[in-house]
Amino acid sequence: MSIVLALDTSTSKTSVALVENGKILFNKSHLDPLAHGEVLPKLVAQALELTSKVDLVAVGMGPGPFTGLRVGIAFAQSYALGADINWVGVCSLDAMAANISASDFIVSTDARRKERFWARYQQGKRVGDPGVGKISEIEKFGVPVFNEGDYFPDPVAIANLGLNSSSVTQPIYIRKPDAYPLPDGVKFRAMTALDLVSAVGIEKQVYGKAAWSSAQFKEEFAKAPKNANYLAAEVNGELVGYAGIFFVADVADIHTITVTDNHRRKGIGRELLKRMIDWARVKKADAIMLEMRLGNDQARPLYEHYGFTEVSKRENYYGPGLTAVVMRKELK
Amino acid sequence: MALVLGIETSCDETAVGIVDDRKLLANVISSSVEQHARFGGVVPEVASRAHLEAMQQVIKQALKDACLSIKDIDAIAVTAGPGLIGALLVGVSSASGLALALGKPLYGVNHLSAHIAVDQLDNSNQIQPAIALLVSGGHSSILQVNNLATDVVVKGATIDDAAGEAFDKIARLMGLGFPGGPLIDKQALTGDRTAINFPRGLSAPADIEKYKYDFSFSGLKTAVARYLAQTPDYKKADVAASFQEAVVDVLISKSLSACKESGIDKLIIAGGVAANSRLRELAKQRCESAKVELRIPPANLCTDNGAMVAALGSLAINAGIKPSQIGISADSAASVTQVVWK
Repeated sequence: MSIVLALDTSTSKTSVALVENGKILFNKSHLDPLAHGEVLPKLVAQALELTSKVDLVAVGMGPGPFTGLRVGIAFAQSYALGADINWVGVCSLDAMAANISASDFIVSTDARRKERFWARYQQGKRVGDPGVGKISEIEKFGVPVFNEGDYFPDPVAIANLGLNSSSVTQPIYIRKPDAYPLPDGVKFRAMTALDLVSAVGIEKQVYGKAAWSSAQFKEEFAKAPKNANYLAAEVNGELVGYAGIFFVADVADIHTITVTDNHRRKGIGRELLKRMIDWARVKKADAIMLEMRLGNDQARPLYEHYGFTEVSKRENYYGPGLTAVVMRKELK
Repeated sequence: MALVLGIETSCDETAVGIVDDRKLLANVISSSVEQHARFGGVVPEVASRAHLEAMQQVIKQALKDACLSIKDIDAIAVTAGPGLIGALLVGVSSASGLALALGKPLYGVNHLSAHIAVDQLDNSNQIQPAIALLVSGGHSSILQVNNLATDVVVKGATIDDAAGEAFDKIARLMGLGFPGGPLIDKQALTGDRTAINFPRGLSAPADIEKYKYDFSFSGLKTAVARYLAQTPDYKKADVAASFQEAVVDVLISKSLSACKESGIDKLIIAGGVAANSRLRELAKQRCESAKVELRIPPANLCTDNGAMVAALGSLAINAGIKPSQIGISADSAASVTQVVWK
């Protein structure tokens, strides 16, 4: 008397199984990393054509990309509520490892951003909690790595694990939400001609000979607000940073993101960048471009994090021997 | 007559409402707004996590408030768009799970239409035909509602910020906090709304010709920012009141001219910004003198809620519209003309 509806949405595959006392009644998967929401109900509806007398729902709790993962968990919990039965959560990597017979190995799934979710298994048991990291870090263990693509979390294994082992009650996210609190005590507002004296001072301090003059700022401001947007960041009334973006012919170009030496590493540049991106979206730009000084290692990870990739280099852009890296982020 | 359970997760409120035809039985809301306050705006990933955490409890509480068992429910309605995609998916997946487990129909419905549909709860008013002003943190539109279930025409919309977004941004500039709507409303109570003459967006004759029923709040935002930068000892209450007046004035003027042009003598104001006290007051005055019937849902049904989703589901059932297919797609940018998902 035990029929388990098992499902997993922690990888690019959506998988559903119906298992009755070890007998597989239904086992189907569909590969599409962006369609868990549409595919899962369809597969479950197919399974329910065989029987609607489900006694338990078992669901893969991850780790996995957040949005797809939550589709499976939300569905499983609500199905259980509607059918007045229990649900149970299982580590999805365990359900992937269940079909591998090596004695010491790692399974890994795609965590996006060039990283992998992974867990190590010895003699059929998981060693520690699942982790997230670069493939090179995982390979350092020197044991076979079984990757998503060749293997996937098996919904039949989820059904079995759900019946037998202790349950996972919370989604296994591992990563924190990709959000950062606003920097404390920093005020963001539109930049005006009143900021020019301070801004030119900061320019000299930060960029030396490549500094913008007051006239250059005025020229930029003249395009605002229709085709340009200049923002100022201030702390206790003092200008500590600014950013400007210019929009022309479907592409927005970030002309500057500048923060004074004393106020770096506080999230001010990040907030300015985010607001520049928001503005470009409102303007319905197809893409955003920016130029960055080659060797500007402080800023590059930030730009990459927000989806900018290098498209070209321009030599002597900032003066003799100073190369610019051109980066682009698609918005469409 | 049908018992409809509605689920709303398009932004930061996890909400479930239950209606019996036009009667409101339950309206439970769990908001993650406090978690977003320190970020100065709604963070999609934080909102989605909170939806999943709250969903089961909110459904159970709604059933309890309505003194019903889940098995009593005749149909499930859910916001399928527009909204934040990750947030919408939690609601749509929950609704699909419930509908399949219960063997009951599922209606994927439009968030914006639902804001209007809430007006039919606990009264016997006919919604259509009406001009609807829909104003919230994500939307500002004027709609002509010939038939809410089948025939809604967009007369105009914002070309940049939504009205609620402008409130949030100005509140942030003035250091009032988040969300900005209620905070500015409160500040404005003691302020002089004629103190500063802020611009009315797209209201000049040339703009009216091209953007008759459209809104723009970006220029107003810049004007306020410039004023704040140039007036170090500004009075918060006066700025709040003058800014609010500029927004509200344009919203109502354009809505009433849409009424006049279309010959429709009913205006429904819906969405989170409809909770604004000055908007309600000025709308009442101007509608009275224009002899237009004004309908604004109670403030607690103006902000995002599940009752409005259930109300639209109920309206769709009564209009004989087919349920949605299994496996509907959440659509973050759904147009208001897509009322019930096929």
